[in-house]
Amino acid sequence: MYRVAVSGINAVDNPGPGVGIAKSLKKGNRELRVFGLAYDAMEPGIYMDWLIDKSFIMPYPSEGEELFLNRLLYIKEKYGFDAVIPALDAELLLFIKGAQYLENLGIKTFLPTQEQFNLRGKDKLPEVAERIGVKVPKTVVVTSYEELSKAVSELGFPVMIKGIFYKAYKAQNMAQATAYFNSIVSEWGYPIIVQEVVSGEEMNVVGVGDGEGGHFGLVGIKKLWITSLGKIWTGVTVKNEKLLEAAEGFVSAYSWRGAFEFECIATDSDIYLIEINPRFPAWVYFSTGVGVNLPYRLLQAALGVEPERSWDYEAGKLYVRYTDDLVTDMDRFQKIVTSGEV
Amino acid sequence: MGKLQKLAISDEGFIFDPETGSSFTVNQTGLFILKLLKEGKSQEEIVEALTEEFDVSREEASRDLIDFLEQLRINGLLREEKNV
Repeated sequence: MYRVAVSGINAVDNPGPGVGIAKSLKKGNRELRVFGLAYDAMEPGIYMDWLIDKSFIMPYPSEGEELFLNRLLYIKEKYGFDAVIPALDAELLLFIKGAQYLENLGIKTFLPTQEQFNLRGKDKLPEVAERIGVKVPKTVVVTSYEELSKAVSELGFPVMIKGIFYKAYKAQNMAQATAYFNSIVSEWGYPIIVQEVVSGEEMNVVGVGDGEGGHFGLVGIKKLWITSLGKIWTGVTVKNEKLLEAAEGFVSAYSWRGAFEFECIATDSDIYLIEINPRFPAWVYFSTGVGVNLPYRLLQAALGVEPERSWDYEAGKLYVRYTDDLVTDMDRFQKIVTSGEV
Repeated sequence: MGKLQKLAISDEGFIFDPETGSSFTVNQTGLFILKLLKEGKSQEEIVEALTEEFDVSREEASRDLIDFLEQLRINGLLREEKNV
């Protein structure tokens, strides 16, 4: 019976992928035990004991590699676990750097390399797009008001104002562009990406690269309904050949290893690359629901078992997120607060 | 394969485009026309069929068909059907 640790179990209004991963793993093998790695005692996954068998509070990655890895070592030594599937941006680099150390402890991962991880920067997208034969919206990287103003007059309104890794806003005029610029700079710093708005269908692909140019399945979707935070609430599977070919081209060109989300805008004639995330998206259970259990396949790859590669899902399958609630004893909360595990 | 051939069309008039994820609804007349388009019928044949099926003149049927085809084009559903 395998034990697998999963992070991102914060199933809140900006959900992490952990609960979707846990649900997929349990669907792949009901005997499997899932350990949840949480950063706050209030993360809902801690209380979803039908999916997360045991939970642990982790130190923030920003507190340092040693503290973080020591916590994993403690969990490994006390309870034993075979693999870990990290799902949050902020901890990925730490896991990538620590992958060999974890491997030596007997904790398997299936992660991108650091070079692959670096491709997620929006300033790298033009280079990736050119290599795989897709387009990117006209993009200008700016670090000052003067450059912002110049970029905006070059691209015209509306224009996208984005952080290099996080945040994206559509600005209709200079006042909005300046406000978004300031907001992103104050939270994430420079540089800022100023980008042309391309009209078309926004589509995403989730997949797992095998690290040798192939993959363990891809699923293409379109978000039909999003929350005010831009998170998918309803979606539909699509089979857009150009989109899927672009995603395959990406996996093949970079020999991508591990989970990824490939975000694009598809027009009648072209695919525009918008973002690459080196992890599962929070809606990853959608792939499992249409018969391509990517988290379970990734786990198998991590454990050295050759996963299934078929990915002939049906277009027109609907994904519906919904809110739910549960009532439990104070006991569980008390335990995780006082001992850091439950 | 033409775009129309890829569309999923239900008997209730629900149209799903698997390439874009977009969906549309059409009334019974629209559904009637779409089915004939999928069968590869010409505009002339469709006008003929419309006058037989519904109580409309040739002119009216022809005008409505042109309008409907334009709507399909606007929504990107007739991209590759050059002969229609």
